[in-house]
Formats: sequence, C-alpha cells, structure tokens
Amino acid sequence: MTAGWDETEFEAIFREHYQRVVRITRRVLRRDSEAEEICAEVFLRLYRSGPGVAAGGLVGGWLYRTASRAAIDALRAHQRRGLEEELEAGASAHSEDPAEGPLTQLLRAERIAQVRSVLAQLKVDKAQILLLRYGGLKYQEIAAAMHISAASVGTMLARAEAEFSRLYEQQQELSRKASLFETVKERR
Amino acid sequence: MKHTDLNQGTLRAYLDSQLDPGQLSAVEDHLQGCAACQQEVLVLNTHASCAREGLSRLPELPQGDNVAIAWAEFQRKREDAMDAEQGHWGLWQKLSLAGGGLAAVALVVALTVAPVRAWAETFLAIFRVEHFTVLELNPDSFKKNGLQNDQMLNQTVGRMLSDEVTVTQKPQKPQLVADAAAASKLAGFPVQLLSSETPAALVFESGVAVQMKLDQDRLQSILDEAGRSDLQIPSSVDGARIAVRVPPGIMAFYGHCGNMPSQLVGSSPDGDHQAHIVVGAGGKPTRSHEETDSTCMTLMELPSPIVSAPAEINPAQIAQVVLQFLGMSANDAANFTQTVDWTSTLVLPTIRGKSSYEQVHINGNEGALLRPTGPGQPDHFSLIWVDDGILHALNGTGDNTTAINLASQLE
Repeated sequence: MTAGWDETEFEAIFREHYQRVVRITRRVLRRDSEAEEICAEVFLRLYRSGPGVAAGGLVGGWLYRTASRAAIDALRAHQRRGLEEELEAGASAHSEDPAEGPLTQLLRAERIAQVRSVLAQLKVDKAQILLLRYGGLKYQEIAAAMHISAASVGTMLARAEAEFSRLYEQQQELSRKASLFETVKERR
Repeated sequence: MKHTDLNQGTLRAYLDSQLDPGQLSAVEDHLQGCAACQQEVLVLNTHASCAREGLSRLPELPQGDNVAIAWAEFQRKREDAMDAEQGHWGLWQKLSLAGGGLAAVALVVALTVAPVRAWAETFLAIFRVEHFTVLELNPDSFKKNGLQNDQMLNQTVGRMLSDEVTVTQKPQKPQLVADAAAASKLAGFPVQLLSSETPAALVFESGVAVQMKLDQDRLQSILDEAGRSDLQIPSSVDGARIAVRVPPGIMAFYGHCGNMPSQLVGSSPDGDHQAHIVVGAGGKPTRSHEETDSTCMTLMELPSPIVSAPAEINPAQIAQVVLQFLGMSANDAANFTQTVDWTSTLVLPTIRGKSSYEQVHINGNEGALLRPTGPGQPDHFSLIWVDDGILHALNGTGDNTTAINLASQLE
C-alpha cells in the first residue's frame, strides 16, 4: 500500500524537512494546532504515496509545494468564512516578548491578520512563491518545488511581490482610515 | 548584455544575488549605462521590501520546537490513521464498491455527501442517468500511481472542493414510512416495491441540491500532489458553476438486515455517510453492530440525479483526464471516452479481478448486474437499472435469474 518507504529513509526525510514545512504552515495559519495538523497530513500523504510521488523531483520540493498549498487553501477557507478575522480579533496574540503591552500585542495581531488577508487574496501560485522565498528557499529550490524553470522564478516572484505590495498598501490605507474614523467618532 | 536581453525576472534575481557570476557582471555592466533598468530595479526593490516587511511580520517557530518530539507525534498519528483506514472507506473505496457489487450504494454514498458527491458527479459526468456502462480498471495501475487505499488523497479532494460547495437544498434526516403510498407521496414519484415480499422497513431520504464553483488551479494541484502533473485540467472548467440536484428517494429493506434501517434513520441530516455505507455492504467492513444474513435485500429508488453545467464544459475532456488519473493510458482513455455519451451514461468503475459484470434487461430497460468475484459473499448481486426515469438498485443474494425475476416484479 505504501509502495515501499524504508522507515529509516522516511524518518531521515521527516527530520530533514519538518522544520521548514511546519514553518510554512505556522506562518500562514493562526492556530498552531491546525498548522501542525496540516504539516502531519502532508507527511502522512507522502508516506502513503510512497517514494514514487516525488520521482523525478526532490522530496523537499514536493513537501514544500504540498504544505504551502494546503496551508493557503486552509487560510482561504477561513477567510471566506470570516473565521480568520474572528480568530485574530479574539486572539490574545501570544507574544514572545513578555514585556510587550496589550496595545502592542493587538497592533501586531492586526498586522499579521492584514498580511494573511493579502496572502489569501493573491492567486495561489503567487502566495506560494512568496511563502517559499521568504521561508528561505533559494531560486533553484523554488523552481523544483513549484515545477517551474529556475529562469522564471525571478519573473514570478517580481509579479507576486508587485501584487502583494498593491494589496498590502490598500489594506494599510483602509486600516488607517478605519482608525481615523474611530478617533473622530470618539471625539464627538 | 543588450537591453532587450534583460527581463524583469533577471533583474529580480540580480537583487536577490541569485545570478551566476557571468550573468551578474553582464547585468552590472548594463545597469551602469541604462537609466530605464535602474528605474526598474528601484521599483522591484520597493515591491520586494514591502513583501519582505509584510511576511516578516508572520510568526516564526517558537523556540524549542523539537523535531524528535514531532517525529514521535507523527508516528502516533500515522498509526492512528492506518488503524482508522481499516474501518473507514475513503471516496475511492466507496466508488470501487461498485466493483464489489455495490454500485448503487456507492453511488448513493457519492451522491449524498456534499463535497464528495459534487466531485464524483462532476468527474463521472452524470448529467442524467439513462444508460450504464462498466469501466474495468486495472488495479496494478493504481498501485503504480500510489492511489490504492489512498484515503488521504480522498480527504484532500474532499477538503479542497468542500470550500467551493454550497448546499442549496439541505438534506433532511431520513425517516421511516409506513407503506408504498406514503413513500410515493413524500418522494413525489410512484414508489414500486417487490410484489412477492413485504418490506421490513421503508426509509424516505429527502433530496439535496448543491452548487459548486470549479477552480482549475485547485483541481490541478490535486493531480500535482498525486504525482500526475503530466495531466492537465482543461482551462474551460475554471470558474464554471456546476449544479447538482439529487431528488428524494426511498430505500426498502427486506429480510433480516440487522440494524441497518435504524442506523440509516439515525444518521444525521448532514450526511453521516458511514450509515449509508452499511447498506448492503455484504462482506465488507461495516459499522453495523447487528449481523445481517443472506435473506437481507435492499431496494433503492430515486429519480435520476441531474447535473447542470455550462455549455463550454466538455465532459468527455474531463473524463479523459480522470481516466488517465485512474491509471488508463492516454490512448485507452481517449478511445473509451469516445464510446460513451457522457451526458446520459453512468459509468460504473470496477476493479479487474474484484467483480464481474453483465448487461441485463429488466422489463425492456437495460441494466447492469454486478457481482464480487472474491471470497466472502459469492452470491451477492447488485442490479441497477433505470425505468421511466427512476433509478433502481437492488442488492441481495441469489443467482442471476432470481435477481432479474425479483426486479421484474416491482409493482
């Protein structure tokens, strides 16, 4: 059924790629438990599919592609249902810095929500290339993961960044207007 | 390097120091004398900085995230998943029930669970069932493609599509009805029952309607993840809205079927499809706690499900992709799709060596009789036919003559 993974070989793959895969899913998804769940699903899928699934390519590439895809799908699903905003709004934005005040935490949570919202609005391959590049993958690795030529990574990345910038600035502008509106309302 | 040789991608790679030394010095030389490219680099750099700044806000891994713990946790999850796989059937197993002699029930399962139904219907291209044909699949091909028993793949398909599915008519909880007259009144068509037998239970199942929007990108990723990026989802499907309507139907139980009827009635309206799976499941694993015996027969009747799709959708083209995905060669898939009218033919997938199939006639209507060929219940049959627009499926135990005689005597 599993078409012959050697357990030692599979464990080595898991150990080599786990951190990067979970890094991708954790960055995209608000809840760590969901990010880890998706990460485990991706490895389970690899296990079930057997070594043949990545034949002709690198296992790492398959893992990063599948993980980023699954995480973006989950994020988009949350956004459609309005769940992400709800989670972000109600989140107590756990902080790495214990000295960080509640207002700073709230602002940080809001900015994370903005970035995720922009990622969810992008076409999937654009969101994917941004996640992979800013997750630390080199152009060659991105090319292998996304089944594209290394020469076209730069072009795709440039387009994705341009689109991201446009939407991100829009988001920030909206957010600025919203807080201005709130301030005016409070003064009245 | 000439200006025309330099594209946006090369300039972007230059910013990331991802060019080889030869390219790098050529680009640097060119940039010194080209104001337009310098400007382009500035723009690219602004966008890249914005993206970097944005993505750097996303949380990093917490400290102490331990791979050893993750591996131990993964091993536990994998064990649970493998155990669960023994007792649950994924979509593929459900569809392959057809091969195990349970085509109709598999179909009901596929048609009753929203995302799965939409997927199955779209890809089996059932527009309105008038004819049947059996497609024999080679199990070696699934193994080769890593598909057999791949519950994870099925879940992926369900998860990926479920976001796009809207239930426009929610299914109600199945309910027991007293007799054929009451069943007909509820179902809206003349329900016919076996003339020689009295049903032990008669269950009405409400209709359901769903709409889904197809996403070429998403569907393509399913193929990619299964290692089949060689197959291309036609671009015509992108954004297409597919509507699926499954009319209300009835399920009659005869003989000793254990607690199958009560399980069906007890299932949730949103489709606890496990309850449907037990119906007529024969020697396969079931969730039924009470044993059934060879006297158990089930009869399902419902008007043909209808799938509406935009005119630009070519079901034969989609079918070709699916057939190749299931392990057929491109040539075989092309040949097979040409023999089928995809707007009116229900294709019952069977697995070579797991079932036998015979074309039969029930009161002048064509039908399909399927039997499992493996050990277990050698006499088990599934008989499927369409009479006056109503899809019928009779599951039971007996020889061909018994099956056809029973089916011919509905009234």
